[in-house]
Amino acid sequence: MKAVFTAILFFTHLAASGQTRIAGRVTGAAGEGIPMANIILENTYDGTSADAEGNFQFMTTETGTQTLVVKVMGYKEYRHAVNLDGKPVTVAVQLEEAINELEAVTISAGAFTASDESRRTVFKAIDIATTAGATADIASALNTLPGTQKVGESGRLFVRGGDDSETRTFIDGMVVLDAYSPSAPNTPSRGRFLPFMFKGTSFSTGGYSAEYGQALSSALALDSKDQAESTRTDIGILSVGGDVAHTQAWDGGSAAGKLQYTNLRPYMGLIDQRIDWNNAPASLEGIAAFRQKVGTDAIVKFYGNMNHSDFSLYQHDIDDSSTKYYYRLQNDYQYMNGFYKDILNENWLVRGGVSYTRAQNNMTYDNRHGLETEKGIHAKTVLEGSLSDHVEIKTGTEVISRDYAWAADSAGSSLSQGFHEVLAAGFAEADLYASNKFVTRAGGRLEYNNLTRQLSIDPRLSLAYKVGAHGQVSFAYGRFRQTAKNQYVRVNQDLDPEKAQHYILNYQMMVSDRTFRVETYYKRYTDLVKYINGDANQLKNAGKGYAKGIELFWRDNKSLRGVDYWVSYSYLDTKRDYLNFPYKVVPAFASKHNLSVVGKYFVQAIKCQLGATWSYTTGRPYNNPNTDAFNGGKTPAYVDLSLNLAYLPRPSVIIYFSCTNLLGRNNIFGYEYSTVQNAEGIYNSRPVRQAASRLAFIGIFITLSKDRSVNQLPSL
Amino acid sequence: MKTINFLALVAALIFAVSGTALANDDKYTQTMQKNIQAVYQAQSIPDIQTAVNTFERIAAAEKTRWEPYYYASFGYIMMATREQDKERKDTYLDQAMTGIKKAGELAPAESEVVALEGFAYMIRLSVDPGSRGARYAPVATQILNKAVAMNSGNPRAYSLLGQMQYGTAEFLGSATTEACATLDKALEKFSTFASTNPLAPRWGQAATEKAKAGCK
Repeated sequence: MKAVFTAILFFTHLAASGQTRIAGRVTGAAGEGIPMANIILENTYDGTSADAEGNFQFMTTETGTQTLVVKVMGYKEYRHAVNLDGKPVTVAVQLEEAINELEAVTISAGAFTASDESRRTVFKAIDIATTAGATADIASALNTLPGTQKVGESGRLFVRGGDDSETRTFIDGMVVLDAYSPSAPNTPSRGRFLPFMFKGTSFSTGGYSAEYGQALSSALALDSKDQAESTRTDIGILSVGGDVAHTQAWDGGSAAGKLQYTNLRPYMGLIDQRIDWNNAPASLEGIAAFRQKVGTDAIVKFYGNMNHSDFSLYQHDIDDSSTKYYYRLQNDYQYMNGFYKDILNENWLVRGGVSYTRAQNNMTYDNRHGLETEKGIHAKTVLEGSLSDHVEIKTGTEVISRDYAWAADSAGSSLSQGFHEVLAAGFAEADLYASNKFVTRAGGRLEYNNLTRQLSIDPRLSLAYKVGAHGQVSFAYGRFRQTAKNQYVRVNQDLDPEKAQHYILNYQMMVSDRTFRVETYYKRYTDLVKYINGDANQLKNAGKGYAKGIELFWRDNKSLRGVDYWVSYSYLDTKRDYLNFPYKVVPAFASKHNLSVVGKYFVQAIKCQLGATWSYTTGRPYNNPNTDAFNGGKTPAYVDLSLNLAYLPRPSVIIYFSCTNLLGRNNIFGYEYSTVQNAEGIYNSRPVRQAASRLAFIGIFITLSKDRSVNQLPSL
Repeated sequence: MKTINFLALVAALIFAVSGTALANDDKYTQTMQKNIQAVYQAQSIPDIQTAVNTFERIAAAEKTRWEPYYYASFGYIMMATREQDKERKDTYLDQAMTGIKKAGELAPAESEVVALEGFAYMIRLSVDPGSRGARYAPVATQILNKAVAMNSGNPRAYSLLGQMQYGTAEFLGSATTEACATLDKALEKFSTFASTNPLAPRWGQAATEKAKAGCK
């Protein structure tokens, strides 16, 4: 009994008297002191914080062999066994840098990523919605970034000397066929997908990941939002139609539906148009979205879009404007996308999905009819993760199957053509971090095409190196291929894919809300489709071309209070010899200089957000059959000043106004020529101009929700 | 005699064990209390980091307690509010979120932890309101409402919710009536706040009064 108490007292006494002093210094690889590290004697309260020079010391009453742990942000955890017997212990702690998302260099060559979450983005998701003149169209907003060339009569994305088909759109990694709504000849089309559906946008003007195939010039990857947080109803009353949307949110999931009707007829009747409409465009669109979290780490998403649009007009003869031809286009479009993502563990995630597109154009021109149908299914699985903190891997497989059919009849004769293409592809890419300062991304894409019966491998390589605290240099190289346009493959199914090689060098500097970027590139085109002896029914892969240029970008939302602005400039030198071109010339869609200035300003006092965009594009070539030189003509420069204004009389109500080409400049996009010479031996011409000088738009958006401060501003 | 001796030994052991447990509990409470004062009083980022380091050491040793994670996260949020660099602000907030997640796993019914999570989202939002507002404002509001629902006596939940409502109203130029009512409620809860936990959070009253000063 007594012995027990004695023993207890004895041990207590021993514990209290034996103190050991532990001291040392925390340093990095170069011997520099690391401040504020947490020094922990594991499983005890004992320890301390290192001082500003990395020095530390503390006393402990613990005895025996213990573990000393040193932790500090940005470095790997350090562990060291210490023997505590009362004698002072000195530990030299040398920490190894941890590769982490925040400190590590990112590959910026060719890439413009927009995200609300990620920190080092040049362009934000909301920018797409609030850029003046873009009228909430993704392509129009991206057209204010370097690397794009404005083609006013198309409204689509033209990247670095490439045509509009060379940019491919992906939603949650799944391909979208026919990403633009139909439009009348020489009038700009709009993207089918509204920017507010997406939480992030990655727009690459070259050198993109091996994950993205079938794009010669550019990949536009859109990440849809996760589940909605609140239940709400949105009503929009627009000068060109209206929409109603409802979102139902529950714990871990949400469902949303939207119905939108657009009719340009009353507007076109009010404002004089240069188009002789029979029936101005009208469309009905339904959108459904569903999101559900599965367990703690997985999410399932579904998105569906159905659209029917219809218009008809009269095209007047160039030589005799009293002769007119009837043109009608009906378009039916369905897109469905199912997506699944599961975080397997701390290091690995798997994602994948299936997308289905069906697009049908029913055309009438004079007494001729055409019916074009494209159906595509895309299935894909990707595994992403890290082998160690220095190696990240992305690998996946996909199948894209497309059915294309075209039928035309005129004056009793009919013709039908089509093809069925199946592409099976696999890709793998590794990010190798030598340090936080230097990363190499190497990978490749393997693709098999059933029509050409060819297996191909396209390499990709990117390097990025951090210079100083805020700057970085990156380089990207890649080989890209894309099946020729449907209209050519249907004529000749043995056509090889068209190919491009990109070489990109980029410097980017970001210092607290100011960004500067300069990028230069060289792109070589090979195997472009070319007519044999000028005959559009005899095609071969004999075309080639190049594009090179230099681009600048400056963004600043710090210098002027409340003002956020950016300036982009692109210089482009490109020539190609393809299709009916007799030799290498500048194509009609390419312009040498493109300059955009975009500004945004929120005026608190009058509850208004103001935005303005000014764009300048030098003249583009057009072919004048009255001269010898092919594509020898040049249009005047294109200039546009657009303005938008959002006014919030109440938090749940927004009144929105926008107007393009405020100054009413008469922009000319090119000239159309008669196919026959007139009496003087000259081909008559007619300029291609904007349908109306200005496009004005007014809308009222009302949000009904329990939380009355919610409004649609982010969606505009 | 043998039996008595044996019983005495058992009693002594029980006493010794519970005594040790008590002593440990005391040590935990006392160290925490001392350090909670330190984190409340710290002004500079290094001073807060020093306190945060201590909480992290305690958290590593006391694997079942939510309070060390809570206060470490609170410290990181304070560091984010004092830091100028936006990227570093986000790093501190990432650290805060890691701690809040752990505290939440240890004490899933604790309204204070949920309120702190809402606070972290508010600061996350404040880093770039223009582009983050749309995403984080509803998240922060929802979480703070949840904190209020879990414990209607938690003044910090009301205070943060009120400040969130105030900021939103101010940004949109609408009436602050609702926000001010919530802040009033928060002040009332501060005056009646009581907890059996000696380590219960006590912060937030001054900030509430400051926010309330804007109300007419």
